[in-house]
Amino acid sequence: MLRTVRPKNARSKRALDARAPKEIEDARTAIFVKGTHAGERVSSVMKDLMALKRPHCISFSKKNDIHPFDATTSSSGSTSQSSLEFWAAKNDASLFVIGQTTKKRPHGLTLVRMYDGRVLDMCEVGVEEHKSMDSFKTPKPRPGNKPLMHFASELFDTHPRFIQLKSLLISLFNGEVIDSICLNGLEHVISVSLSPTPAGLTTASPETTTNLNLPKVHIRAYTTQLLPSGTRVPRVELTPMGPALDLVMRRHQDADTETWKQAMKRPKVVKKDIESGLGKKRKNMEVDEMGDLRGRVHVGKQDLSKLVGKKMKGLKKGSGDDNAMDLDGEDAWDIGGKKKRKIQT
Amino acid sequence: MDVSGLIASHAAKFQSVTVEKDTPPEVDVGFLIVTDLNPIDEESYGADLESHLQKLARDGTQALISKLFSLPTTPSPDGPVAQLPPPTTQIPRSKPLPKPKPPTKWERFAAAKGIQKKVREKKIWDEEKQEWVNRWGKDGKNKEKEEQWITEVPLNADVNFDPVKVARDARKERVAKNEKQQLQNIKRAQGTSSNTLEERKKQIERTVATTRISTASMGRFDKRLEGEKKLKGVKRKFDPAEAPADAERNASLALLNKMESDAKKTRREPDAQDSVLNVRKAVRFASKGRGALALAKDSRSKSRNAKGSRKSR
Repeated sequence: MLRTVRPKNARSKRALDARAPKEIEDARTAIFVKGTHAGERVSSVMKDLMALKRPHCISFSKKNDIHPFDATTSSSGSTSQSSLEFWAAKNDASLFVIGQTTKKRPHGLTLVRMYDGRVLDMCEVGVEEHKSMDSFKTPKPRPGNKPLMHFASELFDTHPRFIQLKSLLISLFNGEVIDSICLNGLEHVISVSLSPTPAGLTTASPETTTNLNLPKVHIRAYTTQLLPSGTRVPRVELTPMGPALDLVMRRHQDADTETWKQAMKRPKVVKKDIESGLGKKRKNMEVDEMGDLRGRVHVGKQDLSKLVGKKMKGLKKGSGDDNAMDLDGEDAWDIGGKKKRKIQT
Repeated sequence: MDVSGLIASHAAKFQSVTVEKDTPPEVDVGFLIVTDLNPIDEESYGADLESHLQKLARDGTQALISKLFSLPTTPSPDGPVAQLPPPTTQIPRSKPLPKPKPPTKWERFAAAKGIQKKVREKKIWDEEKQEWVNRWGKDGKNKEKEEQWITEVPLNADVNFDPVKVARDARKERVAKNEKQQLQNIKRAQGTSSNTLEERKKQIERTVATTRISTASMGRFDKRLEGEKKLKGVKRKFDPAEAPADAERNASLALLNKMESDAKKTRREPDAQDSVLNVRKAVRFASKGRGALALAKDSRSKSRNAKGSRKSR
């Protein structure tokens, strides 16, 4: 018989609803996994990427026997892909950054993107140079701040490997749809640039090119300074903030066309939905028939003990009592009157 | 009047905010992304990498910021908030699109009959109390009959007739019925294919078979119902005595592989070079069955005694 799973209480219902598919999705949670041997450089890179990704990140700091490109079973008896799927389901995460150093592929970093709890596509890069965030003594952006992103090279529009890398990096850092942004909150920019395109690398035969002649990838992060320019648009100056990464492209796995097509489906968002919060539940706000936004505000419970009423002579406690001593000058109308009573007894 | 001096001083004070490029950078304001599709200049790349990258990033960011600051804004306590258009870059979703909720049985019926949905107020007017009370829940109107202090009893009622209990049971029954309908709606929404029906049939058959042999005589002396089939046991099956040689070899190799694989082994066998001496047995023998720890302690105390005797000499 089919088991009908129903949440038992409101808290678990909210938790299940938060995990349910949404029309407009939240930012992807990334899990940073260390392989059997990560090494100092890769660990440091992962730490820096996590600092940029915070708060939507989870760190798996223990060693994990995981090799996403190998289909063979590990010693624990499960394939790497099934481990990834399990972790994704457990943590409600859909992105993995896996660090692994081997003799054959030193300082490897694998980006894995999931769709519907299964692996969609993967891309492996090797870290050649790395300068950590700590080595730049500059102020860092606050966690959760949305970065600007900059991609520079014509290959990001033509070469499938770099189109995939761009898409993965956008998913990692900037994949959340937002409807507004505070212009004072633009604090940093992540710049992804390539080395000059080699002559042999033409768009005609992208599949035949090996990893060797693919250009290097330079990832830099800068903090922005907005200087006055005399116009409405400010002039931008950048300060290196770190991390600075030089990467080489390695193995990759493309998404299969059918899954990709499903993953790229867009919701039909009508104007009314945009007004009522872009598919997200917006409480206590409604647009009335005249098209005005109306809100309800909960003002909390009023503290009546602090209320200052009208002072009247007749209501004074000591008045009329000929031997009463006015001990506390009657500054405020004390309804509780605890203090006063204590003094009098 | 010569204003060139003024213009020059203004230009010196404020640097330009325009970016000159062969192809203007593509800006996706919705995702805050700028893509500069000009080929990388080899000379400046080779000369000084860091300054080249920073210059590229600055130009790109300037283009993005220019677009962002030209968007319509609304004021807020933290500064102007720009209203972003939907993004043009397409990135894959992490979960499939939410499916529309399937209609319940009532909703389908209502749609067929053209019944409009009415929102039921949670509060209801109580004429006697002259105030709004809950329809259900705490001090709910639906518990009125159970809580009133005097109740009319029908003429032909039983001696043990308890009007409070009857009202309460009726209310509980209504709740149970609604819950059952909800569950059925959920089940219907999940869909019952022929596959699950098959499974259910198999499950029932298995239950029947189990109950039939669950008596003291294992079902031998039970009454047989009409049309009841004879229970079929599981027939043992054997491989043919003669098999092709390679099939036999493959089976044996598979078995050996399974035995050698580490996956299900709890304790490793000792290595080949150690196999001459069974270490555990030797320790047990040397320590007279008290274990390796006791053996180590013994040897330590012995050596200390030896040292002490040397000193005293």
